[in-house]
Amino acid sequence: MHIVVCMKQVPRDNSVKINPDLSINADGIEKIMNLFDEYAVEEGIAWNERHGGKLTVLSLGTEEWVEQMRRALAMGATDALLLSDPAFATLDPLAAAKVVAAAIRKLGDVDLIFCGRNSTDDESGAFAPALARSLGWPQLTYVGKVLELDPATKQIRVERHLEAEVETVSAPLPAVVSVIKDINEPRYPALLKIRKVARVEPPVWSAADLGLSDLAPAATLTNRVPPPARPKGELISGPDAASKVKTLVDKLLESQVL
Amino acid sequence: MPGVLVYIEQIDGAVAGISRELLGKGKELAAALDGPLSAVVVGQGVAEVARQAAALGAETVYSVDDPRLARYTTDGYVAAVRAAVDAAQPALILGGSGFQLRDLGAALAADLDAGLVVDATALQVEDGAVSAVRPSHGGNVLNHYRFAAGRPVVALVRKQSFAPAQEGSAGSVQSLSLPEVTIRTEVTSVAPKTGAVNLTDAAIIVTGGRGLGDKESYYRLIPPLAEAVGGAYGASRAIVDAGWVPYEHQVGQTGKTVSPKLYIACGVSGAIQHLAGMRTSRTIVAINKDPEAPIFRVATYGIVGDVQEIVPLLTHELKSRLGR
Repeated sequence: MHIVVCMKQVPRDNSVKINPDLSINADGIEKIMNLFDEYAVEEGIAWNERHGGKLTVLSLGTEEWVEQMRRALAMGATDALLLSDPAFATLDPLAAAKVVAAAIRKLGDVDLIFCGRNSTDDESGAFAPALARSLGWPQLTYVGKVLELDPATKQIRVERHLEAEVETVSAPLPAVVSVIKDINEPRYPALLKIRKVARVEPPVWSAADLGLSDLAPAATLTNRVPPPARPKGELISGPDAASKVKTLVDKLLESQVL
Repeated sequence: MPGVLVYIEQIDGAVAGISRELLGKGKELAAALDGPLSAVVVGQGVAEVARQAAALGAETVYSVDDPRLARYTTDGYVAAVRAAVDAAQPALILGGSGFQLRDLGAALAADLDAGLVVDATALQVEDGAVSAVRPSHGGNVLNHYRFAAGRPVVALVRKQSFAPAQEGSAGSVQSLSLPEVTIRTEVTSVAPKTGAVNLTDAAIIVTGGRGLGDKESYYRLIPPLAEAVGGAYGASRAIVDAGWVPYEHQVGQTGKTVSPKLYIACGVSGAIQHLAGMRTSRTIVAINKDPEAPIFRVATYGIVGDVQEIVPLLTHELKSRLGR
């Protein structure tokens, strides 16, 4: 079977700045594979090892992202595909889903797509459902366990881990699955494999390759600001631990927090 | 003129708190759009919830009541909400931002080729166009968006963003039948999460971090303090990754985003990934031996000291003062 994993590069932490043109400035922050995508890559590799076929890691980004794609290859992905075009620079999740859907259609033989539940920078979690709808495939989001993936019957059965309950759900393939953090334990790529893929250049598909033109977002970004600062706090002083604790409890009770 | 359609969530056969907020805010936005406020209730046996929504300000409540909607499925629920969208032709569709709503809202927006905003914390209508604010990057960035008029917008809202609607109006309930749809997914079982901790809903959260030293200290110190204040207990990513505490309890960028009225951080240094998940808590108490720990920068009250000494004293003091 052919499994695709969608992978995004993100800054390691979110201490980003805002440029005068309102774009996000993540200069100086290390770039990593989106944490939830790492679980998606691991899940894809594990099932690929069981059933064989292809495991393609797919990114919608810039050449800068190839390093993370190589990491996925070193972990065990068999193929990589980069979708890159100046027209893709400011896509919202719905438009990004349309682009990736076009690439999946062009690949033609995809049985299953794994995504992380959301990226740690945008945090909307809208991409996986939007991708499923763009393809007309069923979606299984917030998956904490894949119980069964049967290439013969083309069925998948998973646990969706919601806020307070766990749903067991089955769906026919092809399908889109988004995974949460505790689904597996992502492997570290072996050094030998890292060296082996160090020069791999994934094929790059542009908007024209995908026959896409109008990707205008529904919304205009009109402003981007840091959050209001929290009011300055108070360090509680006192001669000993017990008196500090007592002062703290006094304050919590006075301000009716408790 | 097109108005606002609110997706009603249900809890134990009643309109959920988030939906009350959305009906309250929806009324104001519908007036600004010069259109009606309507609502949609989806499920099986939802007559009572629909009646409640009609009393909470929705002029028309569309009820899609069908045995095939007894459980949430994307296919079934998107089809049901679309029936209401077709009937109401809203400019703005409002919903909550829990997992099922994110699954539904993004799918609906994709199908409608609508605008989408997830985790909206502010919404407004100006000259017939919807604008929204949503945080990203762990709350370090607030994005202001303005949507073009003439294309519907799906807005999923963070709870506790708006004041809830009050009862007292008398809207009408209109039944819609579920359009023809193939529901491709099948929910074969639903089980409550074992040891489920609904951190997101907790009013008070006590969190432990690496500064506690070991797993044993976490369980000796943190749950008793949480119990003393009637709260839930959370954990930093470091100690979840170290295997001390299950992932369910993790607060932060890759765990849960919480906004309780009181957050007590014990031995948590306050890595940016952690602050992302709790910085909007109303009152933050930090206990840490390092006075330079970043957690003190967001704390309302801080105590510099040894958690092993301070936390038991705090638990004891709270127990006696609160009479627990």
